[in-house]
Amino acid sequence: MNPHAKLICTVSLIMGTSITISSNHWILAWTGLEINTLAIIPLISKSHHPRAIEATIKYFLTQSTASALILFSSMTNAWSTGQWDITQLNHPTSCLMLTMAIAIKLGLVPFHFWFPEVLQGSSLITALLLSTLMKLPPITLLLLTSQSLNTTLLTLLAIASTLIGGWMGLNQTQTRKILAFSSISHLGWMIMIISYNPQLTILTFILYTIMTSTVFLSLAQIKVLKLSTMLISWTKTPMLNATVMLTLLSLAGLPPLTGFMPKWLIIQELTKQEMTPMATIITMLSLLSLFFYLRLAYHSTITLPPNSSNHMKLWRTNKTLNTPTAILTALSTTLLPLSPLIITML
Amino acid sequence: MSPLHFSFYSAFTFSSLGLAFHRTHLISALLCLESMMLSMFIPLSIWPVENQTPSFALVPILMLAFSACEAGTGLAMLVASARTHGSDHLHNLNLLQC
Repeated sequence: MNPHAKLICTVSLIMGTSITISSNHWILAWTGLEINTLAIIPLISKSHHPRAIEATIKYFLTQSTASALILFSSMTNAWSTGQWDITQLNHPTSCLMLTMAIAIKLGLVPFHFWFPEVLQGSSLITALLLSTLMKLPPITLLLLTSQSLNTTLLTLLAIASTLIGGWMGLNQTQTRKILAFSSISHLGWMIMIISYNPQLTILTFILYTIMTSTVFLSLAQIKVLKLSTMLISWTKTPMLNATVMLTLLSLAGLPPLTGFMPKWLIIQELTKQEMTPMATIITMLSLLSLFFYLRLAYHSTITLPPNSSNHMKLWRTNKTLNTPTAILTALSTTLLPLSPLIITML
Repeated sequence: MSPLHFSFYSAFTFSSLGLAFHRTHLISALLCLESMMLSMFIPLSIWPVENQTPSFALVPILMLAFSACEAGTGLAMLVASARTHGSDHLHNLNLLQC
């Protein structure tokens, strides 16, 4: 892609995200969301492949609809309350429409159908941007309005997202689709706790961003797009495969690794709020996603293909030093002992 | 709800229903998206008049500018889909299924 165009798109992404995060007025928040949508469209479609164009069309239609719905819900609220403040969203129809609009933007069930297909059609780095940076403005809006939103609806969306994210990821062989469904189930965890303790949502989002960025960057380095490529990638970078395994287990939420921290704190908070059946249900549903994380980890480290495969094996060529991946891997596996410090910072 | 607000409400609702139930062509979806934006433009223009807040008068123009950019992007995607898939039929967009 043309370097000038890439620079404009990247700066516009950062600018749109900053505008939405720092806004108090709904029109400014909508503007930031529109800038984000417009800026990432060239990044998804830059390869001009039919799958990329299809992914771009699906992304564009869903995100534009959601932005228009957000504007309309803020307008309805303005008609009835006379002000456009984001934290003062009080009209019940507006709250319902806003919840649905943000569910479309984030990819929560039942509006998740675009997300795996859009991730599948884009390159691994663009998929990283779509999973982490593009989720930040809608989650910010949800955090600002979380006091007035319907708790039952949010709990329902959360449990359905964890269920669908876990269940539909079981039959996938393409790594981008697996990561899309993992993203959907992590969003379910984030939405579960937003009415009770919004700071846990922020913590879950930050840790999810770190872990997902690690996985995407590691997979981009070894160019693993499907499970069969993962099987033979140990010849290129054996150490990276070991760290990919640890990061995937961290995403699954297994105890000595960082991913356990958000799940543990969320279950503790839900139990304190007398929502123990919901905590049990959501924990059981994340066992489904544990299965496909384990399968991916198994393919990366624990098995060797039984016969010589048809791919040409590259023996340890192009060993480039990738500092961001190294830092993110360290963060995404070793942050659990610092959880008392992180809890006091919440 | 006053009749004026009801008319904007129903205009937006019908446009969004048209967007949700479009069947064959991508361009009908883009047209419904544009009509949603139009039905947002008129209430935003009326707001500074009925509330006597002239500082809000620039907002409909801002909204129109962004929705024009969005319409341009949508049309660019229409042209791109015509180049790669041959037409703008939505049932041709099935390369990425699970």
